[in-house]
Amino acid sequence: MSKGHVFLAQNSSVDYVRQACALALSIKKHNKQHNQTCIITNDDIPEEYKHAFDYVVPIPWSDIAKDSEWKIENRWKIIHATPFKENIVYDTDMILLNSNDHWWTHLSKHELVFTSTVSDYRNNVVTSDFYRKTFTANALPNLYVGAFYFRKTTKSYEFFKWLDLLTTNWKTFYQKFLPTHPQKFCSMDVNAALAIKFMDCESQVLVNNTFIPSFTHMKPALQGWNNVPIKWTSVLPSYFSNDCQLTVGNVQQQGLFHYVENEFLTDDILHKLSRHS
Amino acid sequence: MTQGVLLFANNNSEIAYTDLAIFAAQQITKYLNVPVSIVTDSKLSISKNVFDKIIEITDNSSYTKRFYDGTDNNKTLHWKNTSRSQCYELTPYDETLVIDVDYIVNSSTLNYCWNQPHDFLIYSKYCDLAQWRSSAEFDHVSEYSIPFYWATVFFFRKNDVNKQFFDLITHIKLNWAYYKFVYQIQSTNFRNDYAYSIAIHMMNGFTHGVFANQLPSKMFYTLDTDFLIDIDGDTMKFLVEKQNTPGEYTALKTSGLDVHVMNKYSLLRCVNNE
Repeated sequence: MSKGHVFLAQNSSVDYVRQACALALSIKKHNKQHNQTCIITNDDIPEEYKHAFDYVVPIPWSDIAKDSEWKIENRWKIIHATPFKENIVYDTDMILLNSNDHWWTHLSKHELVFTSTVSDYRNNVVTSDFYRKTFTANALPNLYVGAFYFRKTTKSYEFFKWLDLLTTNWKTFYQKFLPTHPQKFCSMDVNAALAIKFMDCESQVLVNNTFIPSFTHMKPALQGWNNVPIKWTSVLPSYFSNDCQLTVGNVQQQGLFHYVENEFLTDDILHKLSRHS
Repeated sequence: MTQGVLLFANNNSEIAYTDLAIFAAQQITKYLNVPVSIVTDSKLSISKNVFDKIIEITDNSSYTKRFYDGTDNNKTLHWKNTSRSQCYELTPYDETLVIDVDYIVNSSTLNYCWNQPHDFLIYSKYCDLAQWRSSAEFDHVSEYSIPFYWATVFFFRKNDVNKQFFDLITHIKLNWAYYKFVYQIQSTNFRNDYAYSIAIHMMNGFTHGVFANQLPSKMFYTLDTDFLIDIDGDTMKFLVEKQNTPGEYTALKTSGLDVHVMNKYSLLRCVNNE
């Protein structure tokens, strides 16, 4: 059964395709067993990074995110666009720092698995709900779509169908089902959590006490700081070595790194990743 | 396998660390029942023969530090505190517990060290007896930096890995301006806590690792803005700062608890029965 890593990227003021290039290159560098990648995009891919992708797939049907900045409206189409039977889907503003080949052994036992635990850059498990008041107040499943797995099954198709409905009608759904601390904008994490709640399958898609999948989440309020800056990049030095190891605040980073701030991804990092893949 | 405690005591113009060391050694002998050696540049000031070995050193460090005696009084004095990096070479024991002379042992808790498998133990968990004060400075060496460890008390066995650790401490000490900058440390003085924290972080491969394990319980402390007012057996009485009212204090008493007493003036007064 085919396995691969999938990213949906649509450029806005942020060059998400460039981010996807870095992520795909990092996957190619570190994974020896399963390193097939697929980008779903209507944008051009820089010639020098085309080799990072095994599949380039256009966004199916019309582009319903044409006028949006955040470009999340087409996410529900991923299951229809991907060439793989088994998929790990990533936000594009991530890079992989070690192999995650071993994830498949665990994930392949399931149909749909979301990240349920994330860490800060000092490798502490994040317990703050600073950005997740809606989740706490409305008892939503505490999942992250930054990295998640699905196998093409009936249940996964059902999930993506719900995602379509929720993304299209998010205001109506949030008004009705998030009575306390309603989210003011359309959020894929919230949409996915509502979908899982409606499908009543939380215990099957959130595998507690594992870090598969998981990532280091660099939103500043999750870092355990008393003085929280607007961007982590303004207070933490980072260093990306020639052999693609990342140190942030003098702490060696491992696994999947969700850098959040686009300015983190320098040309230097891209070039170093490109040399190794 | 020899076991013992190592104390460091370098007097300055006002603080007779050797007097504190004599008291600390008596407490350690009483509660831990192991030999105690002292490393000092002030041998002539040692008035009682309570030590297993007296190891003389020369400490030419030129740091100064503000020493508080409660909230309202302080003096800037010479601070000779850099010879800790030489622990490995100086200790006469195979298994050594290094203890600051202002860490008063009132229990046998630290005897845990001798019969456990880990080769390096230190505190990162702590408890301020004043409770209300912000202690973020003891969580990380600076807000955005690495975890903080207390060099106040630590245990090590002589082996190659620990030799590397102490060599690393020496290297950090020699290149303090660099490390202070890299780890975003605000203090200008070299401080053992910071050097040990950085070295542990490096020994752990710059991430979470297993080089340093926890000493039993927590590091209990009072700051130098608090007062120790009495020691009687294993009981100590303190006046600790009140919240929002500088210069006012709350009385508290501890029994059978090891406490790091940072106000050296008040500790000296108690030790010398003044």
